[in-house]
Amino acid sequence: MKSTKIQMLARAAVGAALGLAAAPALAGKADDTLTWSTDREVAVVDPYYNNTRELVIMGHLGWDALLFRNLETGEYEPLLATEWTWVDDTTMDLTLREGVVFHDGTSFGPEDVAYTVNHVASPDSGVLTTNNVKWLESAEVTGENTVRLKLDAPFPAALAYMAGAIFIVPEGHYDSAPMGADGKPDYSAVDPVGTGPYKWTDTRAGEYVHWEANADYFEGGPKGTPSIGKIHFRTIKESNTQLAELLTGGIDWVWDVPKDQAERLEGAGPVQVENAKTMRISYLTFDVAGRSGQEFFKDARVRRAVAHAIDREAIARNLVGPASVVIHAACHPDQFACTGEVPQYEYDPEKAKALLAEAGYPDGFEFDIYAYRQREFTEAVIGDLARVGIRAKLSFLQYRALRDLIWGGETPLAHMTWGSNSIPDVSASTSHFFSGGKDDPSGPGGDGDVVAMLGKGDTTVEPADRAAAYQAALSRIAEEAYWVPMFTYAKYYAFSEDLDFTPTPDEIPRFYAASWK
Amino acid sequence: MSDQTLDLAAIRATAPTPAAKLRKRAFGHAGFVFGAGVLLVIVAMALLAPWIAPHDPYDQVLDRKLIPPVWFDHAKATWEHPLGTDMLGRDYLSRLLYGARISLLIGFSAMAISLVIGTSLGLAAGYFGGRVDAVCSFIITTRLSMPVVLVAIAVVSLIGSSLTVVVLVLGLLIWDQFAVVTRAATMQMRQRDFVAAAETLGSSRARIIFGEILPNIAPGLIVVATIEMAHAILLEAALSFLGLGVQPPLPSWGLMIAEAKGLMFFEAWLITVPGAALFFLVLAINLLGDGLRDVTAPENRN
Amino acid sequence: MLAYVVRRLGVAVLVALTVSALTFSMIYLSGDPAVALAGEAATQADIESIRQYYGYDRPIIVQYFDWLGRALQGDFGQSHYLRAPVAEVIFERLPTTMLLGALALAFALALSIPLGVLAAIRPNSLIDRAALTLAVVGQAMPSFWFALTLVLWFGITWRLLPITGSDSWANFVMPAIALGYYVTPAVMRLTRAGMLEVLAADYIRTARAKGLRPHTVLFKHALRNAIIPVVALAAVQFGFMLGGSIVIETIFAINGLGYLAWESIQRADLPMMQAIVLVLSLFYIVLTLVADLLNAWLDPRLRTA
Repeated sequence: MKSTKIQMLARAAVGAALGLAAAPALAGKADDTLTWSTDREVAVVDPYYNNTRELVIMGHLGWDALLFRNLETGEYEPLLATEWTWVDDTTMDLTLREGVVFHDGTSFGPEDVAYTVNHVASPDSGVLTTNNVKWLESAEVTGENTVRLKLDAPFPAALAYMAGAIFIVPEGHYDSAPMGADGKPDYSAVDPVGTGPYKWTDTRAGEYVHWEANADYFEGGPKGTPSIGKIHFRTIKESNTQLAELLTGGIDWVWDVPKDQAERLEGAGPVQVENAKTMRISYLTFDVAGRSGQEFFKDARVRRAVAHAIDREAIARNLVGPASVVIHAACHPDQFACTGEVPQYEYDPEKAKALLAEAGYPDGFEFDIYAYRQREFTEAVIGDLARVGIRAKLSFLQYRALRDLIWGGETPLAHMTWGSNSIPDVSASTSHFFSGGKDDPSGPGGDGDVVAMLGKGDTTVEPADRAAAYQAALSRIAEEAYWVPMFTYAKYYAFSEDLDFTPTPDEIPRFYAASWK
Repeated sequence: MSDQTLDLAAIRATAPTPAAKLRKRAFGHAGFVFGAGVLLVIVAMALLAPWIAPHDPYDQVLDRKLIPPVWFDHAKATWEHPLGTDMLGRDYLSRLLYGARISLLIGFSAMAISLVIGTSLGLAAGYFGGRVDAVCSFIITTRLSMPVVLVAIAVVSLIGSSLTVVVLVLGLLIWDQFAVVTRAATMQMRQRDFVAAAETLGSSRARIIFGEILPNIAPGLIVVATIEMAHAILLEAALSFLGLGVQPPLPSWGLMIAEAKGLMFFEAWLITVPGAALFFLVLAINLLGDGLRDVTAPENRN
Repeated sequence: MLAYVVRRLGVAVLVALTVSALTFSMIYLSGDPAVALAGEAATQADIESIRQYYGYDRPIIVQYFDWLGRALQGDFGQSHYLRAPVAEVIFERLPTTMLLGALALAFALALSIPLGVLAAIRPNSLIDRAALTLAVVGQAMPSFWFALTLVLWFGITWRLLPITGSDSWANFVMPAIALGYYVTPAVMRLTRAGMLEVLAADYIRTARAKGLRPHTVLFKHALRNAIIPVVALAAVQFGFMLGGSIVIETIFAINGLGYLAWESIQRADLPMMQAIVLVLSLFYIVLTLVADLLNAWLDPRLRTA
């Protein structure tokens, strides 16, 4: 807080006049409290019973997973497990770290791992993050210090989930769950206990969650030892209010700051700004089958015209941020087998007009475009399309509502984003969208050739063969222009200039590794 | 409020003010003159937008975004964009001119819808009385007890917002004042001699309602109309703030303010320009309404 | 009087029932709650099981009466998102919004009643015109702009007041002003009109003629009578403010009912939405009921209306 004497006097005067004292917000280096804020309410502090990004972040604060993924090397390192070996495709033996204690003082052992896995794998547990746990079948204690995991079926991404989503709770943790109104135990109401570098202290639903450094956190782990005394989370819905609090020292860290604000924030107060890449991509998806009743996009020439009409470079540069890159294939460049070696559509309004004329629309046409995120990006797309004579009418919806429409084939063109659940493999993006499922632009069943190529990639083990299969699929998708892949998202972080913090591309801020300068 | 309306209607009915006298009062009334003048200017801006706007309001040039207005001592400020450009590099003056159309359209259409609904209910309740009145009053009370802002937000966010949806939702929500005022005024009017006379002469009900009663309560309705038009314009701005107003790239003033809010702490002009426009529009409509009330019924305002 | 009270109560109950039915159906007609609940990565089977679990597969009439029956016992179900009983969450947040509403109303009355009285004492004077200007200007500024301007000046530039939170009284100063400012014009106009009418009345003239001191006449006789409709209006405005605090609560991050409503709309938390709309409507119904009964008690002519 950088307030001058005059301001302090004025504040005191106003406080006295109103018969009150403005309680100083607990934030900043002086209080050894890192306060971070997003616009989302957090009521449940349990990574299994709250499927928001906030809880992924807090999951790594309050709990430890079995493994740790080193973002620089991409390798998995020991965390709660020190060794792991596949017995067969669906069985894994783990040796656990010794000398680890939970926040409640009990010591960590194989029973805890078995309890956690068996709880979350049970259908009765009602875990909200089903995708994270559904590959697990069970776990059993096999020794003083060892445990065996059983999988439902072979699962290539098991290590990624073990490092990113399976947080270990102490044995019997959920036994104290109170009965919910529906007569089932409400597991989400249990107070958080983990082994993580920070210890939960307090929650006010929808307002804040408080953590403090775990003084007993084990030494020599990949997460290091916590440096900042307290970490507080606060919900602030309105972005202006977030920025106002950041500028006045009420909070220390925000993200998702739009580019224009971020650039102006830097000089306006004691704040540093960083633009970091993310795993999220932006894309346009067409109603290729003509199910929406607006059949313009059944014609590949019209789809290609749209691709030529949009100045993706200008959007990425002017609206998204310097860490954003234009993409040409239907996947994130950081994903395995995501190649840029596909047919590309350069920005060329004249070519777009020519293609439209060829397709029988010399004067353009009018249609509906749908979007749910960053309205200004979609507005820029609409502006570019207008220039070649395509008049788009925007419907801006909530994500869930829009997804229903897309699944029902009701959107001629939708401007969407996809984060691939942070999985660095095209199977989490291209295969999700083009294997003939509900999200497939060609409708259920998809494009048979693409479905076959992706199927081959998904089941092949040899990396080079996988890559070849995916490249064929990606080329075909680009050739037919089922999507217009737009750009990768870049995220602006703004935080106190006292804070030593490094953004990561997986959008999981490591607050446990942050420190004061 | 209804009492004033009644008196004013009564005066019109029994002792019609000579038009000349009315005109004189109108032009002597500063608020009325100012309100009417500003509103005229805004309507003219809206009508003439295609001819006076320097650019296409939808034409974006991303590399020329956020140019400040000419009165800023800024290297990028240029007379090519007298009011600067917005976040997508669109000419702000042109958007403001075209925005006048949308804002007026929203205010006027929503008001017109609510006028029809509210007046019909009020006339029916006031004229027929008895059970009809009970039913109409019940509908009015029910509507009054639903929180307007909350319901508008819920409905718009669930259906998905567009110009039509916003106008319809607002129109369907803000008719209560029309109904309340019309009902009370009609009830009073019903007891007047000229209505009784018309009834004995055998005039049809429709003729009595629309030929005798409606013209006599009209001045009061015009005042309500101005209030509700301003109300609708501000509600649209509030919806826009929550991302539920008209859809871009349509340049409504409410939407322009809402879009600029993110930069409010850094580029204050971005919100001040459409904000001032909206402010003067609502101010003008309100002053016009106040003026009309004073001019038609001066005894209410000494 | 008793007959009037009974009839008025009956209407209030019927209105409450109608509002509850409207709210219930409006929200159900708008989309599939099960899909919303299931989240981003759900399969059709997940959605189906959620639908059955929450009973969304039953006919809507059955669902409504089921809901109403429970609601009458104070059970509004579980919030889908917050995973807590809806009634509990609402009663946790209601005091904050009530406090905000009360402070805003207090601010509005403190500003508008003196101005209204002054304007009525000296019609067409400078103060009358100033009050009128304040009223029209107040009505012409979008509330979020006004609120953010307060934040810019008092929060960032001068740093006089905390921007967010609800821990201390200082937190409520800006929100109360921002919310209260919008009801100021209506209250002020009504006070002014009432005062003008009363001041012209015979008994005031008599009081004056009797040589009572001007301010005794003004406050003991005139204001007391002129204030009655203002009290009724204030009650109604209070109900309005509870519902209208969405924007203000969002800007100042006040964890009240308006904020909860907006959040619930965004995450399609149906039980929560239904309960909030109903609770706010009930507030309004009760407030108007009280205002009506009060008026009827004061003015017997109204009882037959």
